Amino acid sequence: MSVLTIRTEHITKDYPGTRALDDVSLTYEGGRVHALVGKNGSGKSTLVKILAGAVLPTDGAFYLNEEKLHVNSTSDAYGKGIFSVYQEMSLVPGLSVAENIFLGRLPKKNEIIDWPKTYRLASTLLEKMKINIDPHEQVSRLSMWQMQVVEITKALSFSPKVIMLDEPTSALAQNEVENLFDAVRALRNQGVIVIYISHKLQELPQIADTVSVLRDGKLIGTRQMNDVTQKEIIHMMFGEVKIRQRPNDLRIQDEAIMEVKGLSRKEKYEDINFSLKRGEVLGIAGMLGSGRTELLRGIFGADPFDSGEVVIGGVTHKSTNPVKMVRAGVGLTPEDRKIEGLILIHSVKDNLCYASMHITANGWIENKRKRDSFAEKQVKDLDIVISSFDAACESLSGGNQQKVVVGNWLNTSPKIMLYDEPSRGIDVNAKQQIFEIIWQQARKGVSSIFVSSELEELLEVCHRILIMRKGKIVDEVLPDHINVTGLYEICMGG
Amino acid sequence: MNTTTEKRTTFDRKKISIFLLDHVIEICLILLVIGLTLSANRFLTWANWMNIFRANALKGVIAFGMTMVIISGLIDLSIGSTVGLSGVIVAVACRDLSAEGINLTTACIIGMGICFILAILIGWLHGTFQHRTNMPAFIVTLTSMYALRGLAGKLSGGFPIANEFPEWFNMLGGGRIGGINGIPIPAVVLLVSFFIVWFIMEYTITGRATYAVGGNPESARLSGIDVEKTKIIAFITVQLMSVIAGFMTSGQVMSGTFTFGVGWELDVIAAVVVGGTSFDGGVGKVWGTLIGVIFMGVISNGMTLLNIDVHTQYIVRSVIVFLAVLLGSYRARVKA
Repeated sequence: MSVLTIRTEHITKDYPGTRALDDVSLTYEGGRVHALVGKNGSGKSTLVKILAGAVLPTDGAFYLNEEKLHVNSTSDAYGKGIFSVYQEMSLVPGLSVAENIFLGRLPKKNEIIDWPKTYRLASTLLEKMKINIDPHEQVSRLSMWQMQVVEITKALSFSPKVIMLDEPTSALAQNEVENLFDAVRALRNQGVIVIYISHKLQELPQIADTVSVLRDGKLIGTRQMNDVTQKEIIHMMFGEVKIRQRPNDLRIQDEAIMEVKGLSRKEKYEDINFSLKRGEVLGIAGMLGSGRTELLRGIFGADPFDSGEVVIGGVTHKSTNPVKMVRAGVGLTPEDRKIEGLILIHSVKDNLCYASMHITANGWIENKRKRDSFAEKQVKDLDIVISSFDAACESLSGGNQQKVVVGNWLNTSPKIMLYDEPSRGIDVNAKQQIFEIIWQQARKGVSSIFVSSELEELLEVCHRILIMRKGKIVDEVLPDHINVTGLYEICMGG
Repeated sequence: MNTTTEKRTTFDRKKISIFLLDHVIEICLILLVIGLTLSANRFLTWANWMNIFRANALKGVIAFGMTMVIISGLIDLSIGSTVGLSGVIVAVACRDLSAEGINLTTACIIGMGICFILAILIGWLHGTFQHRTNMPAFIVTLTSMYALRGLAGKLSGGFPIANEFPEWFNMLGGGRIGGINGIPIPAVVLLVSFFIVWFIMEYTITGRATYAVGGNPESARLSGIDVEKTKIIAFITVQLMSVIAGFMTSGQVMSGTFTFGVGWELDVIAAVVVGGTSFDGGVGKVWGTLIGVIFMGVISNGMTLLNIDVHTQYIVRSVIVFLAVLLGSYRARVKA
């Protein structure tokens, strides 16, 4: 059997205002696992989407076994044997493993579903994957890695040539990763081209044969896994980054505004201790699943913590909840602004005044004039672009939505602001404006905790950075004393 | 130059169509009134209109509370059972307490007090239970719909308890202010409860919180809004109004009957939906519900005056509710 190849030639993809992929040419062979890495926004997911037929390239072409492919949709890609397994599962939890594998094309005999055949075919496939899962089992009862494997098995049932795995281990525990890797190796040994996207560099030597690095849409290089070090990969990912300087008039005051003591939540974070000074911007770095978001939500009381305490302005809180924290002068801009931060169907004005409701009202009765003035103040101060105060928040751009979330909290005159990924999915300009807002608040003596997966941002925005790994604070660094690659290495724990 | 004027006209057109869609129920009501005035000569008379108010006030009162519940993203199916139960409780209190030698008026007031306490208890249970277990409000209140109806049947022994109320209790449901052609007391209660709920929803932080909880409970919670308390308030409001409606119903016929209020929950929900309140929560107006109640009342009154049989009336009502919801989803799309 000849070896399969997939080859991209000068693939370029332009989006309004940005070039997501710039002249990417690479060749992948069957029977090997090819890792594709790069930081957020480097273009790796765009490349996957192009190969999967979900997005059309602006320029360039790709070839499977030297045959030029014309893939205009995901079903075209399926037809050519190209499959992708995304982080978000496409399985139906209430159905059996076998039904999920053959969903929409269950084998039939005389127009009636042939169940014995379905289960027989499914177990043959599962054996091929060297995995011991009962095809009768309901998917909702499987563990995460088993679901991933079922998803891969489903792709395998189409006799695929290329399978792309997008961050398959991000939600898995250590021992589950091993099990998943066994399945991926079984897949590779059938001669399939496996493209493996991951940010967990320390896993790559166990599973990948080659590694390709993308940065700012360009292919930086492809290396054999066994003659490249993790340090070299990180260097390829980040290059020489120039970190912008934070304004130099930001002064931290000596007074500690908040102290977190021994905060723990089972399986999320453990024994977290730190203190936050007035006017300080404190960053928390860590990989996905390191517990940074959970910690922030724990402090704010969005989710409960098991033990420990939060001391704010001398008052000890043995437990927290949002109602209590708003009164204590703490605000949180959540990770997902559309689901947790805004009421999309309600107006800009309403969304700017929810957290400050108890401040704008005279007791129980609302003071509409005061509410209007609060909303107007934020639209002006934060430079929010709106067609009218009554426009629904869903009509705003991502950057303006994020500003509304921030404005909602600034209306409460907070002492402490917790920002969870405030720059996610907004353009460069809006990002910079958000940073300016954080600094402006710092000048007024507001303290901030800033969580971001963009390490450059943390180095630019924060006075001090705590690094979390597996639910623990493992290090504390000052942005002036470290660069991006150094920070990334500590986050990975390499 | 050309493009800007073009933009402005399309923008205005959008504004106008949103305005029309927002007030489509008022417009339909006006057209309906004009049509019925021309076709049924007894329609536009003081007596007939007071009749419409008297007949629809009972469910209408509950509809305002239901508007609050639906805006907060919930539903209460138990209200019809509360109507029946409250009449029975007051009747039993009058009968048994006066047999003990207590003054009949005192006995009646004690019975009404028990009903109010019960309403608060039921509403509180609904809110707490729904919030903490995250069970659908539909199921939570369905179970109490059965339980309360059963309780009413047990208490009354399965028979109407007639002629136990004091004379003045009849005034609640059947009385009029200003003589035989005056304003029916239920109509007054309807307007008073409209103003109370309208004020809460428009001018208090409870109202603001109710819209927020219905619009997105998670965002509301993370903005420091007490979601559980907000749900409890909505559930208690609708139960209190059901109790009042129960007094008026049993007062009208001077009998506490456990089957009173059967099926009311759906009529009430229909009036709220026709008034433009979204079933998804977060969107709705108390004013719309008032119009919805009047609209449904006028429709059935008009059809009766035109000698249209009751079965046809049901079909017409179905078409109206369907069109109202269709318009609601169309409106949401135009606005987006």
